[in-house]
Amino acid sequence: MKKLIVTIVTLTLLSWSAFGGGYQVRLQGQKQTGIGLIGTPFTYGASSIFYNPGALALVPEKFSFSAGVSGIMGKAVFQKSATDYQAYTDSPMGTPFYAYGSWKINNSFAVGLGAYTPFGNSVVWNDDWAGRYLIQNISLSAIFIQPTISYQVKDKFGIGAGFVYAIGNVEINKALYYNTNSDVSLKGSGSNIGFNIGVFYRPVEGVNIGIDYRSKIIMKVEDGDANFNIPSSLATTIPPENKFSAELPLPANLDFGVSIDITEKWLIAFEINWVFWGVYDSLIFTFEESGDLLDSSNPRIYKNSVLPRIGAEFNLNEMFSFRAGAYYDPTPTNEQYFTPETVSLNTVGLTLGVSIVPVKGLSIDLSYLQLFGMEADKSYDPANFSGTYKTVTFIPGIGLSYNF
Amino acid sequence: MKYRYIFYSVIILALLNACKPTIEEFAPASGNADFSRYIAVGNSLTAGYADGALYKSGQEYSLPNILAGQFKSVGGGDFKQPLMVDDNGVGFRGITPVTKLVLGYTEDCKGVISLGPVLASDQIDPANLASVADQGPFNNIGVPGIKAIHMAVPGYGTLNPYYGRFMSLPTSAVIDEIAPVNATFFTLWLGNNDILDFALAGGEGEIITPISLFEQAYMATLNILLANGAKGVVANLPDPLNTAFFNTVPYNALVIQEQGDAAVLNAAYAPLNQIIIGAGSTDTIYFSVGPNPLVIVDASLPWGLRQIKSDEKILLSIPQDSIKCSGWGSQVPVPASFVLDQNEITEINTAITDYNTKIFEIAVDQSVGFVNINKVLKEATENGYVFDGIEFDTEFVKGNIFSLDGIHKTPAGNAVIANFFIEAINLQFNANIPLTVIADYPAVQFPTD
Repeated sequence: MKKLIVTIVTLTLLSWSAFGGGYQVRLQGQKQTGIGLIGTPFTYGASSIFYNPGALALVPEKFSFSAGVSGIMGKAVFQKSATDYQAYTDSPMGTPFYAYGSWKINNSFAVGLGAYTPFGNSVVWNDDWAGRYLIQNISLSAIFIQPTISYQVKDKFGIGAGFVYAIGNVEINKALYYNTNSDVSLKGSGSNIGFNIGVFYRPVEGVNIGIDYRSKIIMKVEDGDANFNIPSSLATTIPPENKFSAELPLPANLDFGVSIDITEKWLIAFEINWVFWGVYDSLIFTFEESGDLLDSSNPRIYKNSVLPRIGAEFNLNEMFSFRAGAYYDPTPTNEQYFTPETVSLNTVGLTLGVSIVPVKGLSIDLSYLQLFGMEADKSYDPANFSGTYKTVTFIPGIGLSYNF
Repeated sequence: MKYRYIFYSVIILALLNACKPTIEEFAPASGNADFSRYIAVGNSLTAGYADGALYKSGQEYSLPNILAGQFKSVGGGDFKQPLMVDDNGVGFRGITPVTKLVLGYTEDCKGVISLGPVLASDQIDPANLASVADQGPFNNIGVPGIKAIHMAVPGYGTLNPYYGRFMSLPTSAVIDEIAPVNATFFTLWLGNNDILDFALAGGEGEIITPISLFEQAYMATLNILLANGAKGVVANLPDPLNTAFFNTVPYNALVIQEQGDAAVLNAAYAPLNQIIIGAGSTDTIYFSVGPNPLVIVDASLPWGLRQIKSDEKILLSIPQDSIKCSGWGSQVPVPASFVLDQNEITEINTAITDYNTKIFEIAVDQSVGFVNINKVLKEATENGYVFDGIEFDTEFVKGNIFSLDGIHKTPAGNAVIANFFIEAINLQFNANIPLTVIADYPAVQFPTD
């Protein structure tokens, strides 16, 4: 099992396509993904480290391990206003992953450790597309590592908390208008800390309620590499090799979910996520040299978003269970400050999932998520770049979990 | 078995399709105009003249060629231009043919090396001026340098080699080149040189064409364009004083570094200042450390010179080395041919207003479309534009609109203007012609070595 986790981690490309909801990626458990990405009211296993640390101590088994990966395949199309120009993204497949392990020390306490990738964005437009002076391609990824402790009372109530250490990478390329082949590449990495706290409550057998709050984390890139590929005649004004710093906020989330066992075999669940995107006001780049010429403040003006989710699970027998879900993810972006670096539209998500249990305790979890980013007219006013965008994304996922 | 494969294929196709979003494509429409045969009539702004010369790639980025490219989606046909043979092209300094300008390194009289416009080569290819008349008729009837009043001059090609290159017959006038195209649609942008030549000469030795003569010549051209029922648009004239040519060298271009230098100049002008004060004028000549208004020739004053006012213009054509090293603007007054004074500026402003009023009246009268380019350039001067993340204003070199001659447009500048033409055409003829993508057009290129 350990070996498998390591393999998945090293094979992962750590970048993925944007799909709704800014640059957040909630694919931290295949069971949860299958049921509409609902997570707070469940005790599926170690994946509660992400979804709700409060639920971790209520996982019945002593040990739980879980790992998985998804493949994000998406395309965005852009129709430029008042022109016959259309462009498609050519983004690589994104592969967010997760790996968790937890140990129930005694009847009250459980501890766990998780590594997962809740934020990321990879968008590749053609280098000579019409928006090349805004963005050619961007790749953004973050890995969160979270040691967690959870405490429960009488199989009814649990609280838990995790400390989050986040590391992130960003790479941005865009064309510059000095000469036909001028461009700039910005590459940097950063880290910061945050937390994840959750509460789980089971008022009666068959009804679970979960609340989880994950703090915002401001990823600070310092001493990033800025490479300007510009005509040599400008090298005295703009140094070809420069350093930059920037901050990218990863917003806080508040999740509230309920699950109800309707029959022996059927379960339904609801969840609401508040995502505090309002923290993303502008993207500010500060350069070490020639700052007065190069420094820029780029408005984004995101707004908080609220996502409703619904899902159901059907347990056929001890070997097979099936899940389905749906949710609506309204874009946090601003009409006037919508940039093609994050093609985040009002998005409808439909999910399917199946778990197969070949031997007791081991579960093979498959999920499928299809996203429809609804067609909308958007503009990035500072660049006077406007048009209609639409996205379609499909995300198959596979995971293993072992509880014993 | 077979059916199963078909079944799987259909599912895979459906999946692949589902992953590619589609948006309804732009629906081009010609409205109530016919773009099949388009003719563009005008001067250098129509010809594709840029960087002080007419050259091949400049012509390919000409305003009407960009428009013709967009007209293709609404039934537009081929657009034939009298192309030059190379990218150095031909411009004229006086009567001396020279190549186009490129951005390069120049060393001034003080040995300071800086980026500035330099000739692309010291030799022109004479083949550029050989006749291409046998390849006609041409859709681009833009003749650099032509005034409205020249349009009907027989044999005008012997006076203007740009027309001489494609003049059909030795006795042809430019307006004679219109009928053979049998155009269904036209753009007419004419009259700029009737005012601009006066401005370029600093108001010396040139006159602005009187409005009545302009109107007569303009109508003569427009009537020929309209004769076969063609539809089209006319553009008004951008105020030449908004171009980079008149706004790059500042009025206070005389920079004095040392207090001592200012004192020497002040002492030298002291006797003249006595005379000026004695004559009851306050217009004395005075220098201090920092930028100083240039001393210019003013023939209306008994003493013949004064310092330039902040709202007067120094032309881009002024030899700047003369200011730096030959005492121009300090010991030697700048010749009037490099200056537009307040009277000349008023004269130009009045003419622009009169001409543009007339062009608008004619457009309304004749039911042709109208493009307010004067407003566009004014907006570019005052607030600038941004398209596709590229900033446009009227600053020299950096402003992206003006090519290295400070008057004619870069390819991107032409593309911006083309989009304003298309908006006016769409409005007038209820058409839906796609705008062009500004990001695809270059502006001034910086040297890479």
